[in-house]
Amino acid sequence: MASHLDSNVIPPSRQRETPRAGLTWIGQSMKRVEDPRILSGKGGYIDDVKVPGMAHAAMVSSPHAHARIVSIDTSKAEELPGVIGVYTGEDVATVVDPCPSFASPPVTQHAMAIDKVRHVGEVVAAVVAEDRYIAEDAAALIEVEWDVLPAMVDIEASLEAMGDGVLHPDDRESNKALDESFEFGPVSEDFDAADRIIKRRLRWNRSSAQAIETCGVISQWDAFKGGYTIHANTNFYNFIPFVIGGSLRVSPGEMRIIPVLTGGSFGSKVFIHKIIIMTSALSRLSGVPVKYIEDRLEHFTNSDSHGSDRLYDAELAINDDGTFKSLRFTVLDDYGAYLQFGVGTHGNAMAQVTGPYQIGSFGMRVIAVLTNKTQQGPYRGFGSEVTNWVMERMADAAAEELGRDPLELREQNMIQPDQFPYMIPTGNIYDSGNFQKVLGEAKSLFDLDAWRKKAADMRAEGRCVGIGVATCMERSVYGPTEWWSLNNKETPGFTLTSTPEGISARIDPSGKLFVTLHSPMVGNSPETVVTQILAERLTVAPEDVVINYSDSQSGFNGVGPQGSRFTAMVAGACVSAAIKLEERLKRFGAHMLQRRPEDMELRDGKVAVKGLKDQETSFADIALNSSFFRLSFPDGEEFDSGLETTAVYDHPLSTDPHEDREHLGIFYPIVGHICHIVAVEVDPGTGKVEMLDYAAVHDNGTIVNPRTLAGQVWGGTANGIGTTLSEQFNYDESGQFVNPNFAEFAMPTANEMPRNFKLGHVETPSPYTEYGIKGGGEGGRLGAPSALTSAVEDALQNYGVKISALPITPPVLRGLIREAEQAA
Amino acid sequence: MYETSYHRADSVADAASKIGDEGKYLAGGMTLLPTMKQRLAAPDTLVDLTHIGDLKGVSVNGKEVRIGAMTTHAEVNGDAALQSACPSLAKLAGGIGDPAVRHRGTIGGSIANHDPAADYPAAMLALNATIHTDSREISADDFFSGMFETALNEGEIVTAISFTAPDKGAYEKFRNPASRYAMAGVFVADHGGDVRVGVSGAYSNGASRNSEMETALSGNLSADALDGVAVDAGDMLSDIHGSSDYRAHLVKVMAKRAVAAM
Repeated sequence: MASHLDSNVIPPSRQRETPRAGLTWIGQSMKRVEDPRILSGKGGYIDDVKVPGMAHAAMVSSPHAHARIVSIDTSKAEELPGVIGVYTGEDVATVVDPCPSFASPPVTQHAMAIDKVRHVGEVVAAVVAEDRYIAEDAAALIEVEWDVLPAMVDIEASLEAMGDGVLHPDDRESNKALDESFEFGPVSEDFDAADRIIKRRLRWNRSSAQAIETCGVISQWDAFKGGYTIHANTNFYNFIPFVIGGSLRVSPGEMRIIPVLTGGSFGSKVFIHKIIIMTSALSRLSGVPVKYIEDRLEHFTNSDSHGSDRLYDAELAINDDGTFKSLRFTVLDDYGAYLQFGVGTHGNAMAQVTGPYQIGSFGMRVIAVLTNKTQQGPYRGFGSEVTNWVMERMADAAAEELGRDPLELREQNMIQPDQFPYMIPTGNIYDSGNFQKVLGEAKSLFDLDAWRKKAADMRAEGRCVGIGVATCMERSVYGPTEWWSLNNKETPGFTLTSTPEGISARIDPSGKLFVTLHSPMVGNSPETVVTQILAERLTVAPEDVVINYSDSQSGFNGVGPQGSRFTAMVAGACVSAAIKLEERLKRFGAHMLQRRPEDMELRDGKVAVKGLKDQETSFADIALNSSFFRLSFPDGEEFDSGLETTAVYDHPLSTDPHEDREHLGIFYPIVGHICHIVAVEVDPGTGKVEMLDYAAVHDNGTIVNPRTLAGQVWGGTANGIGTTLSEQFNYDESGQFVNPNFAEFAMPTANEMPRNFKLGHVETPSPYTEYGIKGGGEGGRLGAPSALTSAVEDALQNYGVKISALPITPPVLRGLIREAEQAA
Repeated sequence: MYETSYHRADSVADAASKIGDEGKYLAGGMTLLPTMKQRLAAPDTLVDLTHIGDLKGVSVNGKEVRIGAMTTHAEVNGDAALQSACPSLAKLAGGIGDPAVRHRGTIGGSIANHDPAADYPAAMLALNATIHTDSREISADDFFSGMFETALNEGEIVTAISFTAPDKGAYEKFRNPASRYAMAGVFVADHGGDVRVGVSGAYSNGASRNSEMETALSGNLSADALDGVAVDAGDMLSDIHGSSDYRAHLVKVMAKRAVAAM
């Protein structure tokens, strides 16, 4: 039977290192090589960097959600001793152009607002001064006259706005930035043929990651070379010059972006292009290097990294026997005042929108809405955490309406182990998996049968105890089409790169392996995993691997840690580099031992003759000879001095979207699977949720380092717990951001984490990546909200409470309980 | 933070002589210093009271308890004599903030600041405590006059608090999920059948007693006695963490739990 997926052909695997048992370093819980310098305070973060002659910037931010700038009086600030210059958006626009936008058509955003502000916290003026104290004092002396406009806060109301309520009247007639519909497969037919349609309205509210470190930049304009030297804690330093060169009116090569150790990102520092552009403009205007570090308030209100803010009307078509047939939904997403990445967060979600289930078709209408809030940006999950939650809510709803056990219903619909690679209706594939095994491990780790009995007993005593299970996907190793595949079909935008990752490697005459990375350390473990993979492939000792970072002029392809891609991608670069180095090592070593290269093997940091114990020479000897004693070797380019190489690994498996968007191609194929099971008790008097027990089993393919992966899972789960139970950015009717601080924004601490978090792993290796590695940076947050929501609903079964919106804070839950009490 | 001068006082008289017109007394600094860092307060002088020996320590004589104003929460929590005479107050002190706060913050600083969500004010009301200053004695009922407001005059220094230990007491609070301050903290103390109820965190005018609860509990010290009591939401704070109705409900729930714990 013809299918809309027929044109989406899966390319063959390019895997070189097969997954296998008996590896030496891959799979070891090696201590992180990054830790000693970080833990001793020697890491070197952005605020530690000082450049000679450096001045400091402080910003004047909008107190209004939506207003015209009538006038800005900077005269008092300019007179303050120590002030070097005061600049408004119009000044900044003389040296830079608007920020890059992935939206189609673009939404214009200036790094510093001109004429109009569109959210609280948007910067309208800056002071550059000798120190930050003076800069802040001067900023307080700047007087702005405002003409306040109606604030658009509600997602649905903003869609109806006219006149002064329209945020970007020059670009668009309304606040609807995009409205596109898609059908992947026979959605209407499947719905018509189904026995039942389950419907739910589901709301996911906005919050964001709050890393310990805010975003920061030091930029220095070089009037002679005509470029910028920039220190910044961006995740993306080898790529960002190509994104912002146009805005800065310089060619990418004229920017030298120097990475720093980054104090946490969780997505929030993926680009940080706006403050790079703004700070660079200030340097160019003032003629001195300028440092700008966001304070916490600025990070909350102006860092363009708010998470998804969505309203779903979702429908699941099922048969009475429990078979899931088709899923469709209309989703409104409150993107805030701008649209930097278009609807990339929905593109991302298309990678796994139907979850681990066999669902034949999928339809969606996505409406991106502009409102007077800080714009969205990346946050761990990048939109897929929301669709995971929607899918799992719908699975629970189906179980309830059919009177079925929710776990059994899930198992009935799960993709079977022999169905991989499995293509979902959107065209993405799941490369491999064994969901049944993950579920089995989780049940046993949690002791589900015993807990179910115990929970029933506790409920019989009047306690509100419940258990929730989530079986979710964790897509990893993103492909670039997620950024544009859902764009307006007439103007889809652009094709991006293959999202490559590279390294360079050199064995020096001392025998050390010097490796240069082209992506920064953002709190993940790039040095540790690269050390382990190269130690494995080249048989060197981990202590002989020395890691450094390039800058953007010395570096090359590196897309960085995002989309759970870094470890799997850099592993490919490591393998490529090792293959090249091995060839040279064997060529030189064979000559030194008077053998043929094909007789040689790598053994414990030596080149050795296969099968002969004493016939060997160390990498150090080879490097010494090849570097310094070229004349000992034959003529010919193949014996050119030195043992060094560069290597780039391109995305292992991607195909283009169908021109008519019948499918989106393969773009996020390396999938992990996660099962979270949690037992909670709800205090019906206060609405507070306590986690009694928690088990998480993740399948991230071959594990490079169980310790660092565990850190990712725990951290992501903590994020997910915050998203579910406490975190929400509150805006009042006038568009004021009510809680941009830690006294008001309820981020969980260690106190709120489950006391006995149990972590298990299943390893189903990918057939497409080196060694079968899959990504694992987001899974905790991709699973925890679904499991916790189900558990809370289960705990409140005696009240009949249904959860359709997050977060479920104590007053929210107490309100639901009270409604149920009053109804009873 | 703006520039300020710092003076470490060695006596109450020394402190009073240094405060000037624009100075501030510094106790643990748990509120004042963050406020200064955010430039919301800018005293020209800080007079540090925490090194004045007379202001520190817990003394217990039978049922009579006196706590120096500069005694830290950790010291109140850990005092063996107090744990015996009035365990509920010692326990309350052990639940304030986090360990760092408990080793810096003081009882005098807390009550003089009268943060409506601080724990001690509820206890002072329920314990019928006396607030001693460098010039007079003030009953707790008269001391807490409004949110962040007290009966203290300009420059007046809290030196100690004292009270007669109740027969029984208990404090239960519900923490704000963000700040971890009390959204509703209820201290119930039984003074020979005369029950006093102090509430922190919920009322818009700061720490307050709840006379309806006191009446219901005096003579019938049981959680059930509170069933019929309606807590008026009209006096309650309302914000993103909870409406006034939610807070009123929490006050009752916490009060019942406190009684049950006595």
